[in-house]
Formats: sequence, structure tokens, C-alpha cells
Amino acid sequence: MARDVGEAYDHGMASWRRGDAGGLGREALAYADTLYNLARYLTHSPTDAEDLVQETYARALTAAHQYTPGTNLKAWLFRILRNTFLSQYRHERHNPTVGGLDTVAPTSQGVEQAQWLRGDLELDRLRKVVGEEIERALMSLGEEARTVILLDLEGLTEVEIALVVGCPVGTVKSRLSRARAALRALLRDYAP
Amino acid sequence: MTCDEARNRLLDARRGRLDPEALAALRGHLQTCAACAHEDAAEALLSEALEGRLPQHAAPVALKRRLAAEWPRPVTAGAGPWRRWGRYLVPAAAVAAVLLIVVPLANQRASERAATRMVAEAVNDHLRILASAHPLDIESGGIHQVKPWFEGRLDFAPVIRFDGDQDFPLRGGAVGYYLDRKAAVFVFNRRLHTISLFVFRADGLPWPARGLQPVGGGQAHVTTSRGFTSVLWRDGELGYALVSDVDPADLARLAERLAPKS
Repeated sequence: MARDVGEAYDHGMASWRRGDAGGLGREALAYADTLYNLARYLTHSPTDAEDLVQETYARALTAAHQYTPGTNLKAWLFRILRNTFLSQYRHERHNPTVGGLDTVAPTSQGVEQAQWLRGDLELDRLRKVVGEEIERALMSLGEEARTVILLDLEGLTEVEIALVVGCPVGTVKSRLSRARAALRALLRDYAP
Repeated sequence: MTCDEARNRLLDARRGRLDPEALAALRGHLQTCAACAHEDAAEALLSEALEGRLPQHAAPVALKRRLAAEWPRPVTAGAGPWRRWGRYLVPAAAVAAVLLIVVPLANQRASERAATRMVAEAVNDHLRILASAHPLDIESGGIHQVKPWFEGRLDFAPVIRFDGDQDFPLRGGAVGYYLDRKAAVFVFNRRLHTISLFVFRADGLPWPARGLQPVGGGQAHVTTSRGFTSVLWRDGELGYALVSDVDPADLARLAERLAPKS
């Protein structure tokens, strides 16, 4: 993986040095923090996250001609980052959500509905949950769930999230709903 | 509105994605459904926890600096093709100016300094010969007596193309030094004038490349310094420095006899 990242990085940097930035401006660099944050939650590793962000920018430069100025640069960079992650990291990681959120049986929603009726206990726990517990719960979700939650948290619309993850808007909607429900279920367990 | 429809719209409502009519319908449902109201409250608390308490990992400063350093600089607004190329042409023109003007001047001055140094050394060595009470290690009985004398005393075999004659009799030879290396010293006379010829290894010396004059079949640097005329030339691996206060024309005649033939 490190070699692939290095080669892509060198190739990208060569394009950068040629000034071949296409429609990309330096404002792309302003998204380094948000890209790195998503990379951290995807890779579980600061080092891998750094490599992933570097390669994301390198690939962005090599694909600069495909970017249309004025469109959502942040979403475009997120898409590159996620695709890079899927192509290079996913097979190395254990994915807790086997089959993905889209394959969750509709009947399981009924169980969640029953839990919704448990009164104010869940609300109290959600009020008291700390950052470390939220992070641990989020990291225990599958990649698809983590991605849609984090992209939604970044303020992307469902349409933009759909462009990033490459699926229909309706799928994003249901995927996000189920991901949040799964996160709430985990947080109920973590809370005292 | 059913509970499923309401719960599917909770997040849309919080993200401002519902039209007023749908939003009003949802609010009406939440007022009458405790389960959906609870669900709405739980979703709001989850969003609050994620937005306010989920650790946010900022990119390391080193990564940001690296990315910023590598990212291409923006082209100035309004820059046309000429401005775009100007980024490269201006530095290129500056480099060309350096190459065309500064470098030749620097080379010329370096060559002049090198020639001055070698001439000064030749004159100084000649003055040592003149000042020495016993300048010759071997008195001449002819070149065939002098040349063999150097065997074992030098790390090279001096090549002399002129044996001396009545106009320029060979007085003898000695071992001396030229700059950092040993030299074979041959002393000729022209009437009452002493002429010194230094023969040494030519490699690694700053031989002047400009202002050369044809001497014999080669090129030589001829100059006058402190009243002495010196003629410097190379012949293969050996270097020659001929120095004297004799008439320059006479020295040129001797140089012609000593220099390689064309």
C-alpha cells in the first residue's frame, strides 16, 4: 500500500510542479482538515489517514481537468478520497457491517421501532454520552455507515452524498437513517 | 401522515429540506404521536452529540505545509498567454543574459588570473636562477649530457626539441620547482642574457586559454611582466615556461626552436 501511495503521490506531485492544476485553485487546500478527519475515521490510523489525504490531493491534480470550477469542490474531493480508500484500504480492514447497510432486512426496523418507545431513558443517555464513546461507537459501524454519517455531518446534501458514494439519493436517505439508528443503539449500550 | 413517513422526514426537517406544507404536516403529527416525538428528540440529541462532542481530527501541520508547498501557485488574475509564458521567459531571459554576458566575462577574468599566476611563477623561478650563486646542478657538455642527468631526479622525462647552438648555447640544467611540482630547469644564454626554460607536468594547472599566439606548430601565451618576457605552452603531458629579459624577438626565435613543429 505504501508503495502505491508513494507512486501516486510522486505522479501527482510531478503534475503539480508542471503547474497542471487545471480548474483547481489553492482553495482545495482549505479542505485538508475535513479530508483528514474523514480519512481518520475511515482508516483508523493517523499514518494511513495522512497517506490517504496525500494521495487524494495527488489524484485530484491528475484529474483536475475533470473538475468543473464552481461546482462543489469539497464533495469532489471527498469522492476521490473515498474511492481511493475503497480501492486501497478496504480489503485490508475488517468491515463490521457485513453486506452493507443496504442489505439490512426491513423487518429489523420493527425492532428499532420497539426500542424507540422506551421512554426518556435513551434521551438521558444521549445527553450524557462523551466524545470518546461517540467515536468508539462510530468506529464500530461499517464503512458505509460511517461515511454517510460523517458526510452528513460535514453539511453535504443527500444529492452531494450520493455523488460522493456513487449511489441513488434514495439509497443515501435510507442508508443514513439506518446508520444513525445503529449509532443510537450502540450509544445506548455505552451510556451508564 | 403515518409514523414511518414522519420518521423518514425528521432529518429532512432538521436540515431544512422540507417545504412549508410538508413541515407543517410533520409538526402536526409530532404533536399527536408520543413515539415519533421521542424519536425526533433522540435524533436531535444525536445530532447535537455528533456536532458538539465527536472528536474532530485536524490534519497535521506538517501535512498541510507539505501540501501547500507542493501545490502550484495560482496564475495572476487577467494573465494572458504572454503573462503565462512570461513566468518562464523572464527568468529564462535573465539566465540567458548571465550566460551571454556575465559568464564570458567571468571566464575571461578567470583565464587572465590563471595566466597572471603562471607568468608570475615563471618570472619568480627565473629570478631565483639569476640570484643563485650556483644555479646549475649540471654544467652543460651538451644536451646529451644534461638530459640523462635528470633520470631518477624527476617523475617525468623532460622532452627538449632544441639542443642549443651558437646563438642560444645551453649552459646546463638543474632541478627546480614550478608551483606545486618539480621542474627540469634548462638554462640558455643569449649573449650576456640568461634564458630559463622550465619543463614540468602540465596536468592540473590553470593554463590560459585566451590571448594565445602561434609559436612553432602550437599556441603559446606570450606576455611581459616586470621587464621579463615569458612564453608558456603545452606539448602533450608537459608544460613549458620560457623566461628572460632578452629582446622579445630573440626569445620568440628560441621559443620557435623549442616548441613542437606543425
